[in-house]
Amino acid sequence: MTARSDADLDTASSRGPLDWKRLGLMFLSRYGTIFGLVMMVLIFSINAPDTFFSRANFLNILSQASLTAIIAAGLTYTLVVGEFDLSIGYVASFVGLIVVGFMSYQGMPIWLAIACSLAIGVGLGLVNGTLVTKVRINAVIATLGLGTILTGVGFTYSAFPIATGIPRAFTNISLGRVLFGIPNPVFFMLGVLIVLWIVLNKTDIGQKMQAVGSNIEAARLSGIRVDRIKMFAFATAGFCSALTGTLLSSLLGSGTLGTADGYLLDAFAAVFLGSATLREGEFHIVGTLVGVLILAVGFNGLAILGAPTHFQPIFKGGILILAVGMSTLARRYAASN
Amino acid sequence: MSASVAETDAFTDGGSAAGGSPEPWMQIRGLTKSFAGEVALWEADLDVERSHVHGLVGANGAGKSTLIRCLAGVTVADRGEIRIDGEELRQGSPQASEHAGLAFIHQELNVIPHFSALQNMLLGAPKVTRFGLIDWKRSSVQARAAAERIGIHFPLETRVSELTVAERWLVMIAKAISRNASMIAMDEPTASLSGQESEQLFSVIRDLAANGVAILYVSHRLEEVLDLCDRITVLRDGRIVDEAMRGHLDKKGLVRAIIGHDIRSPEDREHITVDRTGTPILSVRDVAWKQAVKGVSFDVYDGEVLALGGLIGAGRTELAHLIAGVRRPDSGRFELDGAPYSPSDEAGAIGAGVALVPEERRAQGLMLQRSVGYNINIASLDNLRYVAGLPFLSAAKGRRQAERMVKRLSIKTPGTATRIASLSGGNQQKALIARWLNSGIRLLILDEPSRGVDVGAREEIHDAIRELARSGVGIVVISSDVEELAILADRVLVMREGRITGELTGSDITEPNIIELSYHDVDSGKGETA
Repeated sequence: MTARSDADLDTASSRGPLDWKRLGLMFLSRYGTIFGLVMMVLIFSINAPDTFFSRANFLNILSQASLTAIIAAGLTYTLVVGEFDLSIGYVASFVGLIVVGFMSYQGMPIWLAIACSLAIGVGLGLVNGTLVTKVRINAVIATLGLGTILTGVGFTYSAFPIATGIPRAFTNISLGRVLFGIPNPVFFMLGVLIVLWIVLNKTDIGQKMQAVGSNIEAARLSGIRVDRIKMFAFATAGFCSALTGTLLSSLLGSGTLGTADGYLLDAFAAVFLGSATLREGEFHIVGTLVGVLILAVGFNGLAILGAPTHFQPIFKGGILILAVGMSTLARRYAASN
Repeated sequence: MSASVAETDAFTDGGSAAGGSPEPWMQIRGLTKSFAGEVALWEADLDVERSHVHGLVGANGAGKSTLIRCLAGVTVADRGEIRIDGEELRQGSPQASEHAGLAFIHQELNVIPHFSALQNMLLGAPKVTRFGLIDWKRSSVQARAAAERIGIHFPLETRVSELTVAERWLVMIAKAISRNASMIAMDEPTASLSGQESEQLFSVIRDLAANGVAILYVSHRLEEVLDLCDRITVLRDGRIVDEAMRGHLDKKGLVRAIIGHDIRSPEDREHITVDRTGTPILSVRDVAWKQAVKGVSFDVYDGEVLALGGLIGAGRTELAHLIAGVRRPDSGRFELDGAPYSPSDEAGAIGAGVALVPEERRAQGLMLQRSVGYNINIASLDNLRYVAGLPFLSAAKGRRQAERMVKRLSIKTPGTATRIASLSGGNQQKALIARWLNSGIRLLILDEPSRGVDVGAREEIHDAIRELARSGVGIVVISSDVEELAILADRVLVMREGRITGELTGSDITEPNIIELSYHDVDSGKGETA
């Protein structure tokens, strides 16, 4: 008797008008970004069928997205553990400068220069991690401080762009197309994203990172060494920044101060867009990729449609605010669930 | 004061008050609300009279909060109406509710700690001057009058952070009556109060009722509800299942109405005999930390549930933290299974086999946005590896382990992938206990395991704890709920001011004995510790 009336209640309430609103909200908070990406591709394709909708242009977009995706994936890790890394752009710039310097000034072989640079990236990440976990400096301040210091150190290292003594083999890393005519950075991106996705979702360290980000006190009481997990996240961000910096220098064929600084904003916009993708307000790798693609398609399409260059920062800033807004809404929706 | 008590008595003898006026002051009719297809409140009819203390009881998720939230204008009901003095209340507007004279004081008091009591009372003060500014002068005069009326004896300039929880409640009550509230809803007011503080609060509540204020009193503490309330409404699964005037319901009947069946009482429990001759699982020797723990020694044996009783602030939580590696003792030592044990942090303690289920379930235990399975598995990821030593985890193994635990502790959840935030408090707590069932621990400390949990869920939590004890894990339970100690513990150590003031075993574990030792004089208590 009571069982039947309960069942009646359930069907009655699931037909209510409120459920449509919920469904709409859920759709928006999970698939809104993907929907936006598809819409952008459609609109640009219709308006510029010859220039935008072509294999060459899509490869161009992917190639541009690659470097942002790598650095943004690293940033995703620090956000997953509930921290921040504002040094990523500066680390990428710094490493991009010294990796060229190592070859040009110090005469290192390519592999050694790159190995040293990536190690420096990891080291800088660990410095960030130590400042945040051991010295307990707020991550925003610590990473901004370190990033600013790096700008100065880079200037001391070489105030002028380094453009000579760079082996052809080094520039070929980014400019080459080893497979199917696809630019190499795309493969670097896929490699980094796959590894980071596996670590985050399929290993114990990834599960622990998510625990630390969800509830740090509960994570600690579950036996997770919270500081180590955060160090790992910062080190990964450092590594990814260094890789982006290295690939960028290879692409440009020179080492110049401050070239990668702008990746900071792009990465943040992408990661926050990603956190409003598929899951409600959680930072994750697939979402970050979607966020990066939205940015890349947006920049590319606007350029092709002939929007003036100064429109780019407007688009970028607008997307950043929109992304954080959507992410916050998604989280609020999740909390009310 | 004495006159008003007489008035209260006049009200308590039942229907005469309701008979005096044909229309009840507040009428709730057919109030229904569902969330995401789940019924939170179904066709609720309720009358609230002024001058009555109206008890609202029910398990977590029974619909009390939904009802209160509808009254407060925070939630809009799907259908149904609320009438006050015959006039329909506009739902979904907190301002309309406040205007109608309804005030709400929640368990987590909505105070700003570094504001003074007076500043807190004036927050959102409705009195404005003709220039549209807040009329501080008139508001503060009213606030002071209200404070005096309910017998606040501390200066209103005191910062709220320096007040006790009981004093903060008085501030919030004074705030409500300074705005001429005709009904005050109170959610679990005594949750963190001592017995004496509760009594003081009750006398304020009775006095308010005597002066014509309606009190809606929500509490899990059934004795005080029975003692205090003129009328009790019981909710279960979103429906009102019972309503009774004072004296027409006893505790047993109330419990039956709340959970739908009888529960065990302390008298029914069987006492097991514990062998305390072998090596204890945990030995604590002369452990001290700051002013909170002053040289404590005891042993925990295989198969027993050891409980730490006493008042809030007796040093029990601090002691638990020392054992679980959250803090390091200033002096003294621990032994685990006879070997020296001195954890440097929580991870070290868990590695050695000691874990803590913390007091603040939501803040310190749960990863709320995560699934039930995730919350269960997070402390035993080692079991889920494809290959021991490699970092890769099998999702299938995780699901199986979580499903086993859900079954073993009968956690009520649609599935292991369900977000844990959507479970009831009792089932969340069971998931937190399940977290440790697969991790090979030797000793589990549970701090207030059934706080904020209804009686039915409490019993299931107790079953889980006992099962753990039988499986050879040492158990230390901290509880301020004396009845819980009497039902659950095989041995009780009562603490007071950082020291153990007494030990009770078997049938000596009774509420009067525990209470006596909790207030025991420390110096004369020393003899019993030895």
